[in-house]
Amino acid sequence: MTALTERGSRRAGLSQGAVSRATGRTFVGLVLVVFALFFIIPIVWLLFATTKTEQQLVGTNPFSLGSFQGLAANWNSLVGFQSGAIATWLGNSAFYAVAALVLTLVVSIPAGYALALTEFRLRRLLLVVTLVVMLIPNTALVLPIFLEINVVGLIGSPLSVILPFSFFPFGVYLAYIYFSTSIPRDLLAAARIDGCSEFGVFARIALPLAAPVVALVAFFSFVQNWNNYFLPFVMLPSSSQYPMQVGLTSLLASTPAFNPSALGTSPIQLPALALATLVSVAPVIIVFLFSQRFLVTGMTAGSTKE
Amino acid sequence: MDTRSSNLKSSALSVEQPVGAGTTRPVLRQALRRKNHLDANHGKMGYAFASLYTLLLVAFGIVPTLYAIFLAFTSSSGSFAGVANFVQIFQDYRFLPDVGHVAAFLAIWLVGLVIFVVLLALIVHGIRARWLSGTARFLFYIPGALAGASSVMLWLFVLDPAVSPVSFLLRAMGLQTLVQTISPQHLPIVFAVIAFWTGAGGWIVIMYGALNNISTEIMEAARIDGANAVQIAFSIQLPMMRKWIAYMGIMSLAAGTQLFVEPQLLSQASNAVVGNDYSLNQLAYLYAFQQNNFNGSAAISIVLLVAALALSAVFVARGGLFERD
Amino acid sequence: MVLLHSNPRRPQRLFRAAAIVTGTVLVSLLATACSAGSSTTSSGSYGFTEAKQVKNSAITVWVDATRLPAAQAFEKAYPSIKINVVTYDGAANGSNSFKTKMQLFDQAKKGWPDVVWSTQDNDSSWASQASGGTQPFAAVLNSGLVPSATLANFAKGALDPCTVNGKVYCLRNDLAQNVLWYNKTLMDQFGYKVPTTWEQYEALGAEVAKQHPGYIIGAAGDAWTPEIYMWASKCQANDVTGIRSVTVNTTSANCVRMAKLLDAGIANKSLTTDSVFSPSFLTAYTGKVLMMPGPAWYSGAIFDSKTSLNVPAGQIGAAPPLAWSGESAVTGDVGGGTWFISSHSANLAAAEKFATFVTTADAYQVKLAPGLPAYAPAAKKWVAQQVASKYFVDDLSAVTSSAAQIWSGWGSPSFSQEAIWAKTITPGLTAGQTIESLLPAWGTAIKNQAQVDGYTVK
Repeated sequence: MTALTERGSRRAGLSQGAVSRATGRTFVGLVLVVFALFFIIPIVWLLFATTKTEQQLVGTNPFSLGSFQGLAANWNSLVGFQSGAIATWLGNSAFYAVAALVLTLVVSIPAGYALALTEFRLRRLLLVVTLVVMLIPNTALVLPIFLEINVVGLIGSPLSVILPFSFFPFGVYLAYIYFSTSIPRDLLAAARIDGCSEFGVFARIALPLAAPVVALVAFFSFVQNWNNYFLPFVMLPSSSQYPMQVGLTSLLASTPAFNPSALGTSPIQLPALALATLVSVAPVIIVFLFSQRFLVTGMTAGSTKE
Repeated sequence: MDTRSSNLKSSALSVEQPVGAGTTRPVLRQALRRKNHLDANHGKMGYAFASLYTLLLVAFGIVPTLYAIFLAFTSSSGSFAGVANFVQIFQDYRFLPDVGHVAAFLAIWLVGLVIFVVLLALIVHGIRARWLSGTARFLFYIPGALAGASSVMLWLFVLDPAVSPVSFLLRAMGLQTLVQTISPQHLPIVFAVIAFWTGAGGWIVIMYGALNNISTEIMEAARIDGANAVQIAFSIQLPMMRKWIAYMGIMSLAAGTQLFVEPQLLSQASNAVVGNDYSLNQLAYLYAFQQNNFNGSAAISIVLLVAALALSAVFVARGGLFERD
Repeated sequence: MVLLHSNPRRPQRLFRAAAIVTGTVLVSLLATACSAGSSTTSSGSYGFTEAKQVKNSAITVWVDATRLPAAQAFEKAYPSIKINVVTYDGAANGSNSFKTKMQLFDQAKKGWPDVVWSTQDNDSSWASQASGGTQPFAAVLNSGLVPSATLANFAKGALDPCTVNGKVYCLRNDLAQNVLWYNKTLMDQFGYKVPTTWEQYEALGAEVAKQHPGYIIGAAGDAWTPEIYMWASKCQANDVTGIRSVTVNTTSANCVRMAKLLDAGIANKSLTTDSVFSPSFLTAYTGKVLMMPGPAWYSGAIFDSKTSLNVPAGQIGAAPPLAWSGESAVTGDVGGGTWFISSHSANLAAAEKFATFVTTADAYQVKLAPGLPAYAPAAKKWVAQQVASKYFVDDLSAVTSSAAQIWSGWGSPSFSQEAIWAKTITPGLTAGQTIESLLPAWGTAIKNQAQVDGYTVK
């Protein structure tokens, strides 16, 4: 199909197509703007809130800017909480999330590949069991996992958090669906015929094509582990090991608006809490932006173009 | 499966290609032997690749699930209790109202999520300008980064018409105070909105990735044949995303039946005006840690699991989740 | 021809191993859960079975951020006693974290801290009971562990939330009894007298509504409203009569009279239905609060707080709690945290020293504590300090004397009365219903919650 004929056909349908295209584009634009506003307005409010004092937060327009002093005061209040506990919490969160991410990838991507593109007898059973396990409420699993970790004496060690984090059936399913829809089996069969070992097929053919799903699984694993509250709460007895989410509850409990008995030396005010929210969210945003670059490369990596 | 994709596949090298008339039988046998050996090999490697995951699945999935089932049918002293735990939870005065709460939430949430995520993913994918598409995906995702405790304060303000950034919207709906916004009849909608706000972005990203994997050649061919965007969406993109949409349906079903975070954080934000026993999952939590009744808690969890399994069987079947092309 | 199912043994062995692992883990899990094994040795003289005592071992104390100065003051006063400080959320805002973690430790049969702070005052209801096959978490304090002279010096009734069946299980940190806070400047300006009875209070509300609309004499929009008003009217909504028995009667005359008072005030807008911590309260009523019945900690949290009403110095005073005419005044209590010593502690001596220090020592309770100490000698000095700051217009004698007036007919059950009120009454108020009409529903909600929490309701 040459470009000339394409242009020709477009010109022919100009009057009819143009109108529907214009309304189509307006519709699309409208939807985009409405949803963008829906998702973004509370975040914008949060950004403004970090620069205000508590009275300004309540008294002034939600979208008005506070002052730099307000921001500085909130920052100092946050960083001074329990002598910089927030730095410890962030460090712990990063450690647990990254360690679990590495382990998750090592475990989940090969598993998804195996479920999608290899043949073994328990394949279907694994898929069904994984699904069942994903559907059971977490509440039911907490106590048994706690007891298990206790039996092997790992309570209080970072492994008590990292190991359960690495169990990421959601990611395995993502990988399974990706591998089973995006990578043609014939490609792998061809590689096998050519004498490639199974591991070679995986490492040299499937894996490079799997960059998007690796990025996806890594990203979702990181976010889920970063945001997980209950597992670290249950497993870690010492506050110096808390990740950000558990530490935030201490912060909340020191905010008079949520806990009236939290008077005393330096209560946390609501704008400082807003700042804490942003600080705890920032790493996730950064990881998201970083992983987005891999998500764009799809099958256009050129697998079956012979 | 779509004819176009199978056309593509048949153009690749395939062992199943018919052998020519001149091939002799020993060569054929050798080729078959090689194929079976390769199949056996990659069956073995299948086990190997899945082994680490299976270990974790056993440790953190199967054993806890079996333990939960064990708990649900025994009493606190460990003796067999039959269905006593289930009877106890069914007779709890909070059980039936909670079922209603979760059902209402699920209906609104599931329908809204699936429709809007697919729509937004299609739109975002269709945008030609890469920067705009990337920005849109980023903006849609940001709320998903806010986890439970981080957003307590956010919702305390956003839902209070006196100080909310969307107060014009709330007032237009006749709401003057926070307590009015979170009155019981509004809660399913409020929770669905919150859950959508935090959850949609991630799924849009996944669906976008799924759409990226549809070969551009197919899309171009369709466009040349005169199909407009809507037709392409319905006849090409959606069918090829069947598995992904089914997966999204199942996961959202699971998340919906396991409703916990949103009512919990609203309970904190509103200082208990929204009770901490709104959903069944919260009830399970209360049974375990407030009433020290781990057996009753496990019973509620099993009920939730059965419900979710039954509902998701629909998605698995219609979405062909376990099939492979 | 190589058959497809003659797969090598290895993968099958792997899966067999997995099955064996599953079985082993399951069995050990069950063993752990079902065993009632205890590692305790001596049955102690303190009224509970003690763990093996290890002299000079470090103790683990759990505090929240606000109580961290208490732990630091202890470290300064006793540098030779090693403590590990863990900060947590203090079980505030319904998080239930204290109970949750102790139950998990009970299941694991190890890991308990030695001293725990809780912002709630009803933890004795569960900490005094055995759970998961282990003995009660809370150590009995009045059988010799804490000197009886110390215990006797706590304000009358302060240790009631800690007492179950005559045994004391915790030490009270601060008192939060209600007094009638009033703004002397505004009262003088409008020519009002501070009421001494609830009837006068109601009449004053009607006057204020007529003469000075927009001014309020109280707030009825918080979750602790029943603890301010209903408790003070001797309403039998929360009469805990035994470890697991409660009497609930929310439609008695005592309850109805207070409900009527609240409804009248809400109707004429002399009582607000806003929460005192809500933005709308601040915008509407800054400078317009004539008086407010409320706990002792209102002084620091609401009046003398830059982020709340921020009333200038020299205006606020504390009047004694109101009485219904013909009766003596009783008052309620909104909060007041507690300190627990673990019965599993391996160093009870150090744990006791810590708990006693943080509740009685001047170095913390007088100098640093933000709330009114429950320990009477420290309370006296604390009040003197507040008066010396010259913020209040009177000598705060009402605060000291009201500590002994807390009505004992309102107990501390294992469930939260505040949460029940917030869920049942607050939405109804917003919808325009009267508290009097909601009293039966409130009673039913309390009974339901009590029953699922294992109480027999009469």
